[in-house]
This record gives sequence, structure tokens and C-alpha cells, in this order.
Amino acid sequence: MPFRRRQFLGLTLSAPFALHLKPALAAARADVSREVLLTWHKLILELVRHTATYMPPVAARGFAYIGVTAHEALASGNPALHSLAGQLTDLSPLPTRGEGAFDEPCVLHAALNAAVLELFANTGPTGQRAMEKMGEIMGRTARDGMATDVVDRSVAHGQAIAAHILAWAATDGGAVVENMGFPHDYTPGTNPQDWAPTSAIRLQQAPLLPAWGGNRPFAVPDMAALDAPPPPAYDEAAGSAFHGFAAEVVETAKALTDEQKLIARFWSDDAMLTPTPAGHWISIVMQIADRDALPVEVISSTLAKLGVAQADAFISCWSTKFRYNLLRPVTYIKRHIDPAWEPLLITPPFPEYTSGHSTQSGAASTVLTSIFGDSFAFDDATHEDEGLPVRSFASFEAAAEEAAMSRLYGGIHFRFGNEAGLVQGRAVGAFAAALRTEA
Amino acid sequence: MMRAGLLILALAGPVLAEPALPTFTEETASAGITTPFEGDWEYMVGGGVATFDCSGDGFPELFLSGGAGPSALYLNRSPKGGALAFEKTGAVSLDAVLGAYPLDIDSDGVMDLVVLRLGENRLLRGLGDCRFEDATQAWGFDGGDAWSTAFAAIWEKGQTWPTLAVGNYVDRKEEAFPWGSCTDNWLHRPGVGSEANRFAAPLALTPSHCALSMLFTDWNRSGHPSLRVSNDREYYKGGQEQMWHLEPGQPPRLYTEKDDGWKRLRIWGMGIASADVNLDGYPDYYLTSMADNKLQVLKDPASGKPDFADIAFKSGITAHRPYTGGDLNPSTAWHPQFADVNNDGLLDLFVAKGNVAQMPDFAAKDPNNLLLGQGDGTFVEAGDRAGVASFGIARGAQVVDFNLDGLLDLVVVNRWEPAQLWRQTGALAGGWVQVRLQQDNVNRDAIGSVVEIRRGDKVERHEIVSGGGHVSGSVGWLHFGLGAAETVELRVIWPDGTADDWLTLPARSFQILRPGQTAKEWPGD
Repeated sequence: MPFRRRQFLGLTLSAPFALHLKPALAAARADVSREVLLTWHKLILELVRHTATYMPPVAARGFAYIGVTAHEALASGNPALHSLAGQLTDLSPLPTRGEGAFDEPCVLHAALNAAVLELFANTGPTGQRAMEKMGEIMGRTARDGMATDVVDRSVAHGQAIAAHILAWAATDGGAVVENMGFPHDYTPGTNPQDWAPTSAIRLQQAPLLPAWGGNRPFAVPDMAALDAPPPPAYDEAAGSAFHGFAAEVVETAKALTDEQKLIARFWSDDAMLTPTPAGHWISIVMQIADRDALPVEVISSTLAKLGVAQADAFISCWSTKFRYNLLRPVTYIKRHIDPAWEPLLITPPFPEYTSGHSTQSGAASTVLTSIFGDSFAFDDATHEDEGLPVRSFASFEAAAEEAAMSRLYGGIHFRFGNEAGLVQGRAVGAFAAALRTEA
Repeated sequence: MMRAGLLILALAGPVLAEPALPTFTEETASAGITTPFEGDWEYMVGGGVATFDCSGDGFPELFLSGGAGPSALYLNRSPKGGALAFEKTGAVSLDAVLGAYPLDIDSDGVMDLVVLRLGENRLLRGLGDCRFEDATQAWGFDGGDAWSTAFAAIWEKGQTWPTLAVGNYVDRKEEAFPWGSCTDNWLHRPGVGSEANRFAAPLALTPSHCALSMLFTDWNRSGHPSLRVSNDREYYKGGQEQMWHLEPGQPPRLYTEKDDGWKRLRIWGMGIASADVNLDGYPDYYLTSMADNKLQVLKDPASGKPDFADIAFKSGITAHRPYTGGDLNPSTAWHPQFADVNNDGLLDLFVAKGNVAQMPDFAAKDPNNLLLGQGDGTFVEAGDRAGVASFGIARGAQVVDFNLDGLLDLVVVNRWEPAQLWRQTGALAGGWVQVRLQQDNVNRDAIGSVVEIRRGDKVERHEIVSGGGHVSGSVGWLHFGLGAAETVELRVIWPDGTADDWLTLPARSFQILRPGQTAKEWPGD
């Protein structure tokens, strides 16, 4: 299905506004809403990197709640949009607007401001300062020229939307993350195929967030039904299938081209050094929104669906990871092939199967393909300020497949973990893609 | 003073029993220390202390940064071996001070002071009797206008004037998006020709990645120290830990993965401490961060590549979370310093700890560490038992013998509370020696020299540096614990590479060492 920009424009211009604005003014206010939405997300991409709680699964959860907040703030005043209440697990109908005029940018800003302050409450002094400044700057932008009573009413409504979402978020099992997600007490497995710590970092001798797979999903009704099949039978014998997968990691590492090294680093998306894998896909949407001047409603519903898909993908993947508790390539290779072997990338501190980045990329590409079409080309400059070049993709699917393959190049996943992750993620993403955001 | 043969008394060997426990008594209030490190966001890093003797009595004075409040110079009035006592003066009362390092810049034998600030950095020329004048302009020093948070100094080969490296933090004017706004670090080299005894315009050490510690160190014993820079990953984009080549007469050149085998490491770099912990003859580096800290040792010195292994975990020295106080969140570490605190002949490590401020993902009650070396490459925590496990929000520090009794004392700068001062008061069985390096003409305090100590069949190397830590430094007596040994076999390799003969010095003595001369005991007759 090709991307239909006309359809999106139609959505925007046909949407009634509570202020009954003339089309030109309505378009101007929509531009302000768009600026509010994108600027807050620009900050969120930074805050994710600078809040120690925000390991990749936690970051995906945060993006999902922010995305749903923005969509619901807009949907509450636009009959062309459809609420996600009743579609997302345990999300009850949101506060409705009362009498009087409302201003969309003010509603949206107030909702985002409140949600971000709460979801990123653990960020450091610089993040706190940035949130405060953003609140001031975007608040000024939103209310500029608006009547005080309209502003006050709109802000109150936006805050009520956020409060509703935050109350819902508080009960999903992922609201409290301690010790950066690493349990204080952990009993390692005793089977030879069990995950073992891969670093000399004391904090990471226990795996990240072992209970995350039990969190409440957003859109998937039955997570167990999406679980990946068991990985290949564990075997230490040379010539066995499992040994062959490990040998492939070694051989791949030996023959890496500069392009493959670049791909590995491009999708590395390390926690606390980047916006994380989920943030990478959020960044892709923001770049497309900027390039194609997407209407605010399209951006917000896309971010909501994408956030939901990625958050559910991490829940599903983490459930699988701790069901099979499979060791990482570096552990197997050091034990059975080459004690001195080191991967290109730093191995993440949790079990291998399935690949988290593959799972959430599969989910993300499924959602984005459902919105923009299956041959939607785009450039990705997410890591340009880290010194990594822009990469171009012919489709979201192509990007997801490269992301999955990057984990093999990086030496941190077996091929089967990446492939199963993509399949798992696509299945998860289908539920988010099916969410109805338009009336 | 004694000249030594090559093999004399073997010093105490490795100690595998429980290390001797030092006992510290806090004397902050009784000693008259009242200076806190004040300020909010722009003072979340910094908070340094400098110790040096400016009165000529051999006892180290204390200069405390005050952040948004005034800095203060405290004159040491402690009696030898007695309770610590300081007299606060207004001699160096500056605002916006983040840290300081003593350095005899003009080599006149009177200590000067490098003051790092939020805004213009200052060079203060010592006039004697603990009086100072601002020599920033007179020495051609461009103090800039930045958030200066790291410093190191060296006399490059053939120079009569030092080279200063200044590390800078984020662009403080960026409010909503400060990340990625790391400002340039500077290298202030001497001028040329008639300008040789003043500073040339600074060179930008581009790329810069928000340095919080810098150290000139001869990591490969090439005779040409390189500049290590520890950077805060919270703010850089595309950054990492760094090291710069500094060849005489050549522009600084960054070590790279491609050309030098430099390995990328990205941490919340806050402080560097250097010592030859594994006794392989090469300096090792303790890098403070948040959660786990690093102890880097060269993997293969013969390879010539700066490829380091992190052995903090197996050394029991990660200091990744509080060990007392009940807060189980990860720690935030700042000033690290190796020293033999219990005089058993083994290096120990002090680490100042404190939350950045209101970061709930990290420990709010974060005690300082005192990790005692056990002689087998491992360390054991003793901060609480020794009495220095403060829950103040610590930043800079110095481990120094303030009352010249041979037992190291401790000063720690805290945010919003007065710096804390501890005197070591327990009885330790181990002996010690303290030496002061002195040269004529240039680089009077012999920055860049190496003190070697022979203990049995091992030679322990100590680089004498100006820099590192967290915006804190000292010049003065160099303390070495001796354990049960009654003498120490020691020699100095001076900054020009000249190695003196081995000396045998008596335990429990202060010695002045000069190139090519016999040691002179202090105080003399």
C-alpha cells in the first residue's frame, strides 16, 4: 500500500476544531501543535539517553505512554480521530472536554509536559533543567495569542488526559525500576547452555530486568501465543548445528567489511549512549515527519502505534529470553572455540534468544509499513551527531532486516536469534498495526 | 642520608593477612574548616582542593574551592603530630572556583596556584608568606570563559615554562538541549623565543568531550608523556575516553583506533588516579564513573599499544554501590587517589563519593571508599571501619599528611556542606618515609619525574604528576609506607631522564632529594 499524503492532508483539513477556526488559522494552530509534538519528542530522545532507568525495554515503555498521551490529547477534540481506550489493555475512556473553547496546542503541550515530567522524574539535574525550560518555551509557543480562559481550560484538560494515562501506566508492572534494572539477588542457571555474565562489570553479573516479560501488554491479547519456538538444540560438539551457528559468528567477525562494521555500530543503539533501539525508530518517524511535512494527527497516531508495538515487542522478547535463558555467543565461543575471542560490539547483559533489537525492529517495521506502505524509502540520520553517516533504506522492512543482521555482525547474537526475533516482532507489530486511530 | 648499594635490606613483602586498619577522627569543626562548595546546576561538577606549603614551614596549607560561594586559603597551624588546626585567610577569596592545582609556574621556588573557574581561569603567582597576586595577564595566559573542570601540567622537554592542559565541560548557555555541547579543551604551551617564559595562545584540543579529569602520564615509558583525558559520557556525542600524543614541537595528536590501537571506552569519566598497582613497571589507571569504576592495566606493554584490560572486578575495586548505609542504588564516584594509608607498604585507594544531586537512580547516601590493598592484587573495603564513610555529597579530595606525623590525613570537599577534614589518629605499626623532590632553575618540584622503590625483587614506580583526580591536587611531601622495614631503597628518575643512584633512607624520616646529590634529612640541624 503506497503512502497517501493526500489522505493525511485530508484528515487534517477536514477535522473540526473546537474553536471553529477558519481554515487558515486552523492550519496555523495545527502547525503549532506539530511543533509542540516534535519538540517534546526531540527532548524525550535525549532524556531517554540521560535517565539511568531507561534501559531499552523501559525506554520502549516510555515512548509508548508518551505516544498514547499525545494521540489521546488530540483525539479528545477531533472527531476524525479514534481513541485507543478499549483497544489497549485496561485503558478506560479518557476525560472528555467540557463546555467552552479549547486550543489544541495548549491541550497537547499540557498533556505532554505533565507526562514527560512524571515518566522522566528520575532524570538528572540537567534533564530536570531541560524539562523545565522546555515547559516554559513550548508553553509560551502554545499559548501565544490565545485567550487566557481558553488556555486555562485547555491546559487543565491536557493535564487530565496525562493524569489518566499515568494512572493507567502505574499498574503495568514496569513503573518501578531499581538498580538500573539489575536485580540485587540473582541465582544463575546451572545448565551449560544457560546465560552467564559476559562482562567484568559488577552491576551486570545479574541479567537486565528478568521479570519484564510479565508486564501488562499494550495491544497483544495473549503474549504466550507469540512466544518464539525453542532455539536449536544446544550442543558443544564440533559439527553440530549449534556449534555451527557459533562458528558462523566467529567467521563473520573475521571477514567483516568496513560496511558491515558500520552497520553493526549504526544499529548498536546502546543504552545511555543513544536513544536506545526504540528511540532509533521514533527518530526515523520524526525525520519522515519533517521531510514530508506530515500533519500532527498522523505523526501522533504513528508514534502511538509505533510506541505500542515496540513496548509490546520488548515484553514479548523478554518473556522469551528468560524462558530459554540462552547463553550469548561470546560465552560459547570462549568456552568451546576460541578463549581469546571478542565481539565487535559490547554484549548486552541478558540472555541471547530472541534478539531484542530484531524483535522490536520487526514490530516497528510492521507498524510503519501498515501506515506508509511497503516500498517507502527513507534516509536515517539518527546517529549523525555521533559521527555515523546517514543510511538509506528502500523500505522499513529492509531497515529491520539490516538491524537484525547487525547483531550478527556485532558478534552479540546467533543468526537464529535474529531471525526468530524478526518473526516474533512482526507478529507483535500486527496487533499495534490493527489499532484504530481514525474515526 | 645514605647512599645505597644495589641490594640492601629487603622491605616487607606482600601482606596477605587482613590489612592494618587505619583510624581516622574527623576534626573539621575543631580545625576551623567552614568552606562549603556551593551552587546549583553550574556547580554539579567540580569542588576541588589544593594542598601545598606556602609558608615555608613544611606543613601543607589548604585551598578550598567554594563554587558559588567564596574560595578560601587555610594556613596550617597544626602542631607536629597533634590535632589539626587551620587559620582561614582571605588571601585567595575568589568566586566561581571549581578547583585548583598548585604549580610553581615561573620556577622561582615559591608556589603558584592554578585556579579553575566557571568563567575566566586564573593563575596566581606566589609572593611568599602565602600571599598571591593575579598573574593571568602578566604570564600571557588566556583564562577563557568556560566551565573548566580538569587540569594537568608538564614541562615539555627543553622548555623553561610549563605546558598546561585545561579541560572544559558543556556550554552552560545551552538550557533545553545541553547534550552534545561540550566545549573545547585547551592546551596552553609556552611561547617561543623571547616569549618562552609566558604562555602562547591556547590550542584547542579538538575533539573535546566534556573532560572531568586530565593527566600527563608516560604510559609506555617512552620518555614522552601523553595526555590522558577522562570524559563524561552524559554530555558528549560521538565521544569516548581520550589520549593525546604530545611530541615536542609538534601539535597534539589524538590516539586513534586505526593508527595506535586505542580502544574505545565510554564512561561517565570523573577522575583519574595513576599508580603501578600490578607492579609491572607501567602506570595503571583508576577511572571513576557512575556504578562500576575501572582499573586499567596495560595488556601487553611489549606491543606498544595502549590496549588496557579492566581488572577492577577481580581486584575487588569496582566500588559500584554503597557498602554501608542501606542504600543499594549504584554509586557516583569522583576523586580517586592511591596512597599507602596504613603504612603497610601496599597501595590503598580512596574514592570520594556523592550523588550528582537528586538523581534517584543513584545512591543518595553514598559513602566514600577506603579500599585497602591486601598484597595479592585485591582490595578490601574499610571506609566505615576507618571512620571516613561520610554521606556528604563529596567531590574533590586529597590524602595528605597535614600534621607531619607520617600518617596520612584526609580532606574531602562536599556540595553545600563544609569540606570535611580527618586526622589519622590510630597507632600503625608500619613505618614510612616522605620525600620532597627539588631541582634548580626549572620545574623546581620535578613534575614528571619517577620515584622508584625497590621492595624485595619488585620495583614500584611512582609518576610524580600535576593533574588528575577530580579538580584537586597537591605538591609537597611524597609519602611512602614501608611496613616493617626500617629503611627504604629508593631512587629518582628526574624529568630529563637522568636516573640517580639508589638511596637507602631511614624509616620515619623526611628527606629532600636533589639531582645527583645525597639526600638531606628535613628538618636539618
